[in-house]
Amino acid sequence: MPAAPAPRQGRRPVAVVSFAQAPNVRRDTAHNEVELLLPVIGEVLGNLGITKDDIGFICSGSTDYLIGGPFSFVAALDAVGVWPPKSESHVEMDAAWALYEAWVRLQEGDVDTALVYGFGKSSMGDLGKILALQLDPYVMAPLWPDPVSLAALQARALLDHGLATERDFAEVAARSRRSALDNPKAQVAYDRSADDLLGEDYVVAPLRRHALPPLTDGAAAVMLAAGDRAFELCERPAWITGIDHRVETHALGARDLTSSPSTAKAAEVAGVSAGPVEVVELHAPFAPQELVLCRALGLPVDPTGAGSTSVNPSGGPLAANALMAGGLIRIGEAAARIIDGRVSRVVAHATSGPVLQQNLVAVLEGA
Amino acid sequence: MTRFVESTITFPYKRSLGPLVGAFMTALTERRILGVRHGDQVLVPPMEWDPATGAELAHDLVEVGPAGTVESWTWVPSPSAQHPLRHAFAFALIRLDGATTPLLHAVDAGSPSSLDVGTRVAPRWRGSRVGRIDDIVCFVPGEAPEVEGEDAGPAEEPVTRMDYLASITYTNPVPPATDRAVAATLERRLVGLGCPHCGRVYAGGRGHCPIDAVELGPDCEVELPQTGTVTNFSIVTPVQYPGQTETEPFVRAFVLLDGTDVVLPYSPVVDLPADQVRVGQRVEAVWAASADEGEQGGMGGAWGALAGWRPTGEPDVDDPDLVNRIF
Repeated sequence: MPAAPAPRQGRRPVAVVSFAQAPNVRRDTAHNEVELLLPVIGEVLGNLGITKDDIGFICSGSTDYLIGGPFSFVAALDAVGVWPPKSESHVEMDAAWALYEAWVRLQEGDVDTALVYGFGKSSMGDLGKILALQLDPYVMAPLWPDPVSLAALQARALLDHGLATERDFAEVAARSRRSALDNPKAQVAYDRSADDLLGEDYVVAPLRRHALPPLTDGAAAVMLAAGDRAFELCERPAWITGIDHRVETHALGARDLTSSPSTAKAAEVAGVSAGPVEVVELHAPFAPQELVLCRALGLPVDPTGAGSTSVNPSGGPLAANALMAGGLIRIGEAAARIIDGRVSRVVAHATSGPVLQQNLVAVLEGA
Repeated sequence: MTRFVESTITFPYKRSLGPLVGAFMTALTERRILGVRHGDQVLVPPMEWDPATGAELAHDLVEVGPAGTVESWTWVPSPSAQHPLRHAFAFALIRLDGATTPLLHAVDAGSPSSLDVGTRVAPRWRGSRVGRIDDIVCFVPGEAPEVEGEDAGPAEEPVTRMDYLASITYTNPVPPATDRAVAATLERRLVGLGCPHCGRVYAGGRGHCPIDAVELGPDCEVELPQTGTVTNFSIVTPVQYPGQTETEPFVRAFVLLDGTDVVLPYSPVVDLPADQVRVGQRVEAVWAASADEGEQGGMGGAWGALAGWRPTGEPDVDDPDLVNRIF
């Protein structure tokens, strides 16, 4: 049996061994959250030929504000079938943070596998309102700044500081949607030039439609396995050799929106620069944010994708943006490229909160 | 054709402000804007903690503005209903004179061509101010603050609390299994779905088995009996929270259907005073008077026209384990 690469964090090597996601769609009216998850959980276990009885720990990420009902994460457990009872936890965050909790749980050493999943249907409520509720409740939320407006303020700051051009935003969008043509689960995929995209009107200046993510109903799941169990389940596990997450102040005015110090710090701790980055999956829902993140990760900033690092080959969040699952999907998409043998070292990033407030960075490697 | 249910959830928050934010809000009623000193910096809005380290700051407040400079801005051509202005406006990060961090607020600029990074703006105050961030209606280009309407003056007492009403409307699709269950009740039938793996039967329109994690389609449908036994109950004394329509104590009973393993939860009772409901009591289904015309019963949702349960008068079931059957 080959040896797992030594992790920078933790004592016990942990790997992504399976990944599955639902088709990302604008509006899924045929399935509730449980029914959306059922085939995804079935696939993530089925890939490995295991059943729910082989799961040591379960952690999920979701938010009740999307569905407008209490304890939707408890109902979602029906998609796993937790009888006899299972050890389980939940984060009111993107499921990338559920993966982090599961990774911590696996460090304890008494369980070897963990199921992580996230789900979010954006189609049922008004995201502009729902996401305003995550802002400072005293001095920001009463003004109801919507996520597009906040991302537009960030974009303007980038333009004004000479760190990006509107063409850069269009190049990021054109490249992402072109990459998405190869992703059967993508929601928005097309082959259009940046020139063509620059002809669109502003939605919220300086952001045009192409720089915005789609509204998505989706779900995703990942199986983690530790130590030898990973090799038993998967020929080529995607070992998490570095992982860290950092948060910045909720006071928007106290942040420099043109940079992402939390991403930079997480990248440093996770060891991003310790080797070549063949693929990076960035959770940048708005096109300008890709440029901020590349800089923070120490990667070349090339919106056209000509550099040596392949940026968001899945199409990224511009191609499908299932809230609460999108960050986990970045980890899953990056890991899948190691599991299938295409590459050896990838970086995945997830974000939470308004305009990149909190960021998680993971380095994954093949043995 | 998918059916949708619209529901609005309202969160009527009352937030305590604390000494620092309270002082900031009180000052707004006086048409003054405060920041907090932090070394060489002046943070606006004031914070209780250093945003980088979390260290507690002295509450060293200082007046800033009222005019300031736009640091970043965005044009919102089609405001939503909750936005600060009804017509096209800008959200902007505004660095007030004397501040080192910008404040997020709206700017009523008329058109995007009258705004730029560096544009000078001043507040348009609400005439009647209560100590909220939107006591400033918005900012307007120029150096001179304005007051909208009659100036009612500052708050008489320091502001210590803030009302914040969030209301969100959801349009949720109804799963097909739920629709089929409701349709059956309109024929005064109770139906369940049986899991082909474990044999368990689920009522209430649940379209999957939570044990085996499989979907249950129309082929899994089974007819359920309309008599059962109360296994447990609760008497709810209604608290008059916003939206509560009940005024008197009422019963919610759990009913185990005869010859099955199916427990119907949280069911109303009919013709049965709250103080006479018992564990082991025999009951039968009661349907809404004109169920066949689509009338809904008291339980709502997937229970459709089922109004609740009425005593049959049969002798009670004497089973000490019954009380544990709540699902």
